[in-house]
Amino acid sequence: MHNKEFSRRTFLISSAAGASSLVFANNIVNAKEAVDLLNPASPLVLPPNFAPSVWFTMESNGRTTVHIFRNEMGQHIGTSLAQIVAEELCLSWKDVTIDYPQMDSNTYDTYGMQLTGGSWSVVSEFDKLSKVSAAARQIIVESGADLLGADIADCMAENSIVKDTLMGEKISFSEILSETVIDYQVTEEDLENVKRKDKKDYKIIGRSVQALDIAEKINGSARYAIDAQVPNMVYAKIIAPPKRLGAKIISIDDKEAKQIKGYLTTIPFNFPDEALNGGVLTHVPLVVASDYPSAMRAAKLIDVKWNTDACSTASSADFETEAYKLLKDRNNGSLSWKIGNYDTCGEGKECKKLERSYKTSMIAHVALEPMSALVNFDNGVLHIYAGHQVGTLLPNIIGQFTGISPDKIIYHPHLVGGSFGKRTEFGMIALASLASIQLKKPIKLILTREDDMAFSHPRTPTVQRLEAVISGNECLGYKQEIASATMQFDKLMPQFLRNPIVDGIPVESENKIESFTVVGADNWYDIENQTVNYFRQASIEDTIPVRNVRSVGNNYTVFATETFIDEVSQEIGVDPMTFRLNYLNGVGINAGSNTPASYGGGKRLANVLKIASGLANYGLENLGEYEGLGIAITGAENRWAPCFLALVAKVNVDKNSAAINVQKLTCVLDVGIAINPDGIRAQVEGSLLWGLSNALLEKMTLEDGMVSERNFDSYKWQNITKIPELEIHIVENGIFPSGVGEPATCVVAPAIGNAIFNATGVRLRSLPFSREELFEGLDKKA
Amino acid sequence: MAKLKINGKSYFVGNEPDTPLLWVLREDLKLTGTKFGCGGGYCGACTVHINGEAMRSCRIRVGDVENAIITTIEGLDAASNHPVQKAWLDLQVPQCGYCQSGQIMQAAALLAENNDPSDEDIEISMRGNLCRCMTYNRIKNAVKKAGKSIRAGSV
Repeated sequence: MHNKEFSRRTFLISSAAGASSLVFANNIVNAKEAVDLLNPASPLVLPPNFAPSVWFTMESNGRTTVHIFRNEMGQHIGTSLAQIVAEELCLSWKDVTIDYPQMDSNTYDTYGMQLTGGSWSVVSEFDKLSKVSAAARQIIVESGADLLGADIADCMAENSIVKDTLMGEKISFSEILSETVIDYQVTEEDLENVKRKDKKDYKIIGRSVQALDIAEKINGSARYAIDAQVPNMVYAKIIAPPKRLGAKIISIDDKEAKQIKGYLTTIPFNFPDEALNGGVLTHVPLVVASDYPSAMRAAKLIDVKWNTDACSTASSADFETEAYKLLKDRNNGSLSWKIGNYDTCGEGKECKKLERSYKTSMIAHVALEPMSALVNFDNGVLHIYAGHQVGTLLPNIIGQFTGISPDKIIYHPHLVGGSFGKRTEFGMIALASLASIQLKKPIKLILTREDDMAFSHPRTPTVQRLEAVISGNECLGYKQEIASATMQFDKLMPQFLRNPIVDGIPVESENKIESFTVVGADNWYDIENQTVNYFRQASIEDTIPVRNVRSVGNNYTVFATETFIDEVSQEIGVDPMTFRLNYLNGVGINAGSNTPASYGGGKRLANVLKIASGLANYGLENLGEYEGLGIAITGAENRWAPCFLALVAKVNVDKNSAAINVQKLTCVLDVGIAINPDGIRAQVEGSLLWGLSNALLEKMTLEDGMVSERNFDSYKWQNITKIPELEIHIVENGIFPSGVGEPATCVVAPAIGNAIFNATGVRLRSLPFSREELFEGLDKKA
Repeated sequence: MAKLKINGKSYFVGNEPDTPLLWVLREDLKLTGTKFGCGGGYCGACTVHINGEAMRSCRIRVGDVENAIITTIEGLDAASNHPVQKAWLDLQVPQCGYCQSGQIMQAAALLAENNDPSDEDIEISMRGNLCRCMTYNRIKNAVKKAGKSIRAGSV
């Protein structure tokens, strides 16, 4: 039954007695059964008897399954969303399960984009899920009251049971669904007016229930894309080109490889991403074999001749030189953000200017599961078994890459072994799709670590210049200028471009700004005159495609802002905490009342900063020699969906070796409403150590147009040693839940840098922090 | 044909002797709980027990482990109830979970040798098991918790 007459704004609730399901959908579509990807026995190809556009399904056996369209990548998103549903539906938590339905060309239309990123999943689902669930609860209570012969006013729901509080009679949800037909239509207006619970009555939201996806992750049964199997599948490996972009195949000689048992063939492809986007075209040979070890053996014996004449031969150092040059001329940049008038501020007053430059290196996602996908083109239908952060787009986008009609493409979501932004890429899935279509076989493409890093999509390197106009002990003006590559969203996803924002209002302009690239530079300080300009470095884009890495632009913008704010405080001679509090009053556009999560704005930032400072004994602690505390704050991930967060780092520096020893990170975050406090802690623990790894260890470099670091022997990142003590405090004020998967990442480097300065008097302005630079600084001081 | 003893069962496999054990486990025997992370022995995602010792299966040739006793995450405990697994569940260690089979196998081998490890012992043993979600604090606490329950069970 496919009924397009129901507008997307109508929610339909219906069930048939005995047929056992109460389905909430915003469209009725062809029914298909959902796959339980945590269960290896679950079928990969699904019988068509269930609707994947629903938010949750209640069965007459008492089980409620919440359907998760977001990508599970370690954040236990299914558990959080299920808690929201279970709360308003008054379910007993033991009755709740989750699944990850397959997605087809209808999914986007009925369910929206469902992008898993930006720490947005909870922020953007909370209202919708809680309202729909509350509406369902009302209907179930009404049905229960009917069956009990009770007055609905006397009835309430609790623990999957409807109770008549007057007579003491009870009926379970399971019995209600078995004994009656519920046929109900809820309009958008009904949903708006539905009565949700008060926070004080929450029983499941706010509880650290165990994550529903963890049991399978400790016994080897959880299924990731790399584990997907279908009968008769063959394996594919790429041969990485000698340059990151633009290398062309002249010839492939696989004579020797033919001796390898299991070797099948090598096929050259245009690398799909760039082929579709009109970017620099890259060739890639795909080595296909009956098993992966044979593909790896064969690849070593295949002689590929490359033409790299058109390739960029740039190196990381070139980009830095170019950035400083670009930043010299204002005309090279575009306005991103403006408050007041920076250029004229301080006129007629005695002022001084402070100017500082900061730079950050490239870092890579290096999720531990290398990119992998299984694709089976079977009977005219393309089945994709993979994990992707924007699965709803796959049918359309893979359709564009392959020419297969999107309604013949089905995505079977799998867990991903870490993503951090990497699995927003379509290229590898497209490559496996093209190969499966061409070879008429199911193809499992697995990248080796070396191949995965050769096809890195790192965070852009940046150089930033900051300026302040200071008069007496006041900061009158603030300017931040950012030079970096864009992610070329002008070609890929123009919907993520925005106009410059002047005094809080977007102003139509020809020069659009890529919002993710400058995010965080729109700070929450009440400095009256601010300008943020963006300088695009196309030369980087011609050499390597850069993308979002955990906490995206905030990582470099907040590093620069929060380091510079300390430098301004120092210049004025005010304590950096006091300085920040002076400018965090939440006034004007910093009141943040335009979205529920941002309500309170700068005031909430001031609050978390005060708490963090208190917890860390800031200003009171009896610090040793070469020991210091440093502060940083952020409203990441962005101004409409911020998590207000403050960090105090305690650092000790070895005066002889300049070794940086981070002793403790004290993090306070205001999340409004904590859905699962232990889950939040887990995300913050991970984010803080990510930030630590970024600050002290991680650096990806380009040499002669190619990524230099190709495995973990050269690309170093945090292991279990030298982990600082972590103190995490969650503030709740009941306003609205904030996203927590990324924001804590971006404050770690500036807090550590500020602590190093307070410990040693040496200011480090380049990420990752260099021990050599600190050593020289200490030497000069001595 | 090589004969492998894995998780208490015997398997005959026809792979080339230089095939990494990891891929035999994953592809031929469908024991996919053991993960591929780097292929170079740097990350520990492929850690299994060979004669009780934690080793990187991506660096072990299948021809070299004939007659060895091999244990993977699937065979660590019949009911997935090894003290390390219990502690991992209690402390909600995994995030994405991809490295955790290797972490658990490494921790189980450590605790079999030393059921009361210090922080330093844990760091030395576990430093080659990378976790990109950075669950290290919980890993440390869970190793200690598992050690405690092993000690309580053994007296």
